Amino acid sequence: MDATLPRQTRLRALRTDYFSTRLDTLVTLGFGLLAAWVLWSLFDWGVLHAVWSAENREACGHGAEGACWAVIDARWRLILFGLYPFEEQWRSALACAVIVLTGGASCAPWFWTARRLAALWVAGFVTFYVLMRGGVFGLTEVSEQNWGGLSLTIFIFASVTLLGMPLAIVFALLRRSQLPWIARTMGVIIDAIRSLPLLSIMFTFAIVLPFVLPGWMIGDKLHRVIAGYALFFACYQAEIIRGGIQSLPGGQEEAAQALGLGYWHRIGHIILPQAFRNALPATINQLVITFKETSLVVIIGFFEILASGNAAYGNSEWNFAHVEVYAFVGLIYFVFVFALSRYGAYLERRMAVAER
Amino acid sequence: MPISQTAVRISQMDKYYGTFHALKGINLEVAKGEKIVVCGPSGSGKSTLIRCINRLEEHQSGTITVLGTELDDNLDNIDEIRRETGMVFQHFNLFPHMTILENCILAPKLVRKQSRAEAEEVAMEYLTRVKIPEQADKYPGQLSGGQQQRVAIARALCMKPEIMLFDEPTSALDPEMISEVLDVMVGLAQDGMTMICVTHEMGFARQVADRVIFMADGEIVEEAAPETFFTTPKHERTQAFLGQILGH
Ligand SMILES: Nc1ncnc2c1ncn2[C@@H]1O[C@H](COP(=O)(O)OP(=O)(O)OP(=O)(O)O)[C@@H](O)[C@H]1O
Ligand SMILES: [Mg+2]
Repeated sequence: MDATLPRQTRLRALRTDYFSTRLDTLVTLGFGLLAAWVLWSLFDWGVLHAVWSAENREACGHGAEGACWAVIDARWRLILFGLYPFEEQWRSALACAVIVLTGGASCAPWFWTARRLAALWVAGFVTFYVLMRGGVFGLTEVSEQNWGGLSLTIFIFASVTLLGMPLAIVFALLRRSQLPWIARTMGVIIDAIRSLPLLSIMFTFAIVLPFVLPGWMIGDKLHRVIAGYALFFACYQAEIIRGGIQSLPGGQEEAAQALGLGYWHRIGHIILPQAFRNALPATINQLVITFKETSLVVIIGFFEILASGNAAYGNSEWNFAHVEVYAFVGLIYFVFVFALSRYGAYLERRMAVAER
Repeated sequence: MPISQTAVRISQMDKYYGTFHALKGINLEVAKGEKIVVCGPSGSGKSTLIRCINRLEEHQSGTITVLGTELDDNLDNIDEIRRETGMVFQHFNLFPHMTILENCILAPKLVRKQSRAEAEEVAMEYLTRVKIPEQADKYPGQLSGGQQQRVAIARALCMKPEIMLFDEPTSALDPEMISEVLDVMVGLAQDGMTMICVTHEMGFARQVADRVIFMADGEIVEEAAPETFFTTPKHERTQAFLGQILGH
């Protein structure tokens, strides 16, 4: 009797949620059938009739009924690593793994102090860069121009975030400076940069800046693009942080002042930790957008994962298989962005426990 | 009164919010160990007055001297005075992202440069004094209002201040929690702390205050020992106010 009780209630819940009126029943059945049909078609195409191995490439192509995953089998190294030298691609893979591990480690509450988090990310990022770039420890040098695929996407995303986040904090603090002219100038700068499209900023930093800057400041093209992107990111993120700060009750800063805490202590221990909590959903949102818009670097000649995907089917041998390649690249984007969202949700849940 | 015996000296102090004249020619002298209760109708400037003492508000003319240091634009002086002046707010203002213990040890660690162990020992001592040592690892959101206010008092005491300022510490509390907070304050008064309390708890004023100050419209209207203040108030505004607050 007791054991069957939960099942009964679940059944009843199902009935009240989906079949309570005739219209509900109709809608449920209609959409249920539609969903079943879509799922079945995808399964039929992607699994039942699919060609999996590059050796059977002839089975793909004209008149084939299923997906041609053979293209992934044949070209996955191009998609993931771009133009990176073939024998060295293990370094690219390892570098990606290092960043993913660093991201995973940041979930551990032990790292949740500004100092530890910064140390962790600097260490992870330096490891990544040394692995990718080489030239030391007996690793052959691979210049940024030859980077590509997933590791380039990750590199751009990680450097934009690592540069942009501290910059955003500085911007946000200047924006609410006591001195009106500083606050106002910062406001104008933020608004100006936000009103430009990202593409034009990247283009300016990549192509125009070398004509303007003195020689020693020009640096690598990729680095300039990242600097431009980081500036763009910082302007949006600064407003998100400022919003987080403004939503704090005024009493928080006053209580800290009354205890004799100086400006930097108040910012570091009271204001920013709480502001970031408040701004967490918007920050995750911004990170997701930033991750996806890394694909714009293709316009100045870099092959991040989407562009190397295009290259993967862009020859006569595989030119029919673009859907499969996009599905694969889409899956990779999904894995990263979904992980980011879940991480955000996890942080929110943890902080809710702390604050109730 | 020699300087060293004076905790706070305010003379001819004016405070404006924009063009609004919030405090008018305030003169007040508080000796070390003295307990002052400030009362008065809403909007009379009580909060503004005590917030000027630790420079949460800036005054425009006159002087405020706290523990021998004058409050001016010198930020070092302000930080020094804030270290020696504890403040308890109406709405507690605990830091919600830290545990009770972390709330208490933050300032001693950062400002007084105490070691963590040292700061924790002091914090537990004061948490025991306000009778909530067992809540040390909880977060403020998990405590009742009365408990939070007692933590706020302990947090201020952990800095070992010379002066304690209270801004209506019980007026956001449910009636049954008021006495637990007042008990702590009475204990503090008996230990000889210099206290300036904005409160309408007249029982508390009778019990511990050396002087009661009545404010209206940004001015100190009347100033007397509690006995005189309650039995023979001179000013008619004081009489009206006392009539309202005690009369029902
Ligand atoms: N930040 C501010 N800006 C402008 N006016 C203010 C500000 N703070 C207070 N005032 C005004 O100054 C006057 C005194 O305010 P204050 O908060 O000191 O009164 P109070 O005696 O503490 O009142 P209450 O009993 O309601 O707390 C009020 O008229 C109030 O409107
Ligand atoms: Mg007030």
